[in-house]
Amino acid sequence: MSISFGSKEYMDYCQRAAELIAQEKDYITELDAVTGDGDHWANLNMGFQKVVEAKDELSKLPLNEMFKKIGMLMMSGIGGSSGVLYGSGYISAAKEVGTQDNIDVALLSRILMAMLEGICKRGNSGPGMKTMIDTLYAAANELKEAVEEGAEDRDALVRMERAAYRGMESTKEMEAIRGRAYYQAEKGVGHLDPGAVTMYYQLKVLSECMLEQC
Amino acid sequence: MKKIINKPENVVTEMLQGMAKAYPKLCYTPEVEVISRKEMGDQVGIVSGGGSGHEPAHAGYVGEGMLSAAVAGNVFASPSPDRVLKGIQLADTGKGVLLVIKNYSGDVMNFSMAQELAEMEGISVRSVVVKDDVAVPDSTFSTGRRGIAGTVFVHKCAGAKAAAGGSLDEVADVAQKVIDNVRSMGMAMSPCVLPGVGKPGFTLEENEVEIGMGIHGEPGVSKTEMKTSQEIAQLLVSKIMEDYDYTDSEVALMINGLGGTPLMELYILENDVCNYLEQLGVRVYRSYVGNYMTSIEMAGCSVSLLKLDGELKQLLDAPCDTPALRQ
Repeated sequence: MSISFGSKEYMDYCQRAAELIAQEKDYITELDAVTGDGDHWANLNMGFQKVVEAKDELSKLPLNEMFKKIGMLMMSGIGGSSGVLYGSGYISAAKEVGTQDNIDVALLSRILMAMLEGICKRGNSGPGMKTMIDTLYAAANELKEAVEEGAEDRDALVRMERAAYRGMESTKEMEAIRGRAYYQAEKGVGHLDPGAVTMYYQLKVLSECMLEQC
Repeated sequence: MKKIINKPENVVTEMLQGMAKAYPKLCYTPEVEVISRKEMGDQVGIVSGGGSGHEPAHAGYVGEGMLSAAVAGNVFASPSPDRVLKGIQLADTGKGVLLVIKNYSGDVMNFSMAQELAEMEGISVRSVVVKDDVAVPDSTFSTGRRGIAGTVFVHKCAGAKAAAGGSLDEVADVAQKVIDNVRSMGMAMSPCVLPGVGKPGFTLEENEVEIGMGIHGEPGVSKTEMKTSQEIAQLLVSKIMEDYDYTDSEVALMINGLGGTPLMELYILENDVCNYLEQLGVRVYRSYVGNYMTSIEMAGCSVSLLKLDGELKQLLDAPCDTPALRQ
């Protein structure tokens, strides 16, 4: 039995991710105060709230249009560099999805890869720079590998979540190359990157939501 | 901080509303902060924009013979892609749109995202990235060389090409030719104060100037004691000539004020720059002196040189009718 995960389920996921992000305000703001300029949580939270507000409308759209709309809402809602990076990720996903209307694990793998490429290209960045990319890169590559190996859906989703966690943790010892932390003397070493943490929250919730549909 | 404003968070909106009232040929689109021509003309559209605080750039260059639309971000912050997309949609008459982007990472990301969105809607878009500042190879704000006052020459020449009926590729090629042949170098004497922040982002001692400072107060190449206009002219021009040798060529010259320097001083500098260029064997075909791309009330200036050929001379001399440039 394959997974049934369409626009409605994806928007349910967005709502649960938004709830987790909202809950973790203090932790994220504290991380960001050390390495950034302290506005990451507020901006990301605003972006997710805008997406949740449009949930009813977006749930009815075909997947690719839903992804595009989410991207547009995140660009204006999150704003700044994070907004355009998230927006680029979702627009790339929209192109990848094409006319398909159900996200199975194989399509999820392609979506995450497309998001990763979209974000890296737009930000002229890659893994190892102490950003959200480290989390997404680890998750997308692990899932791709799992799909290629023919892993069971449940197994693949769990592996993706674990890889995302390791990717997030790996930012702790990295030196920042992009973003505000770069300008600090210690370049953020010893602290998790807040963007990598919030990216982990999203992938964790996504994995949980899809596991429930397995 | 003494500023003629109402609320700091409304400065961009209220400024653009004021511009639209002052120039009836322009139209203001609220929410997305776009100033566009009411009559687009049957031509390739040209859209530029960026953070506010650099007035008259870029809304002041909207009009016949220059830009079709300008998209404003908050003070010193890039506009988001949805705003830029609106600018592109307004500027498109079916012949495609050229985006003129200054080389700051935020602007490049937001404008290229908007380009992708417009292309998904079936609009033909090309973009060029201006990087004329020779001060520093890399700056706090950008990946690589920054785009500063030389951008106005890009608007002028590409705008003239579009008004003359050039195709999107032809207009983009002219813009790129200007970018390849324009260089600028600036210096600052006093900082600027962002509305809402209320205090300067950096300080300079009474007798100190910063050479190569960016238009957002990013650090320059060196701090030095205040110099005479002749010395400043030599310093800025030499720095430009180290990067691009204009000897034996004909150039357009721009002496740009950063907002807080009186025209009297800019004309004194014009005199010294022209004399020095003559010594170096550089012929000035046409000069522009004024506040073309500012940094709120920062005192200081930049010098830009553009090497001209027959085509660029013709485009530079073509008529235009915009709030900040009319000829």
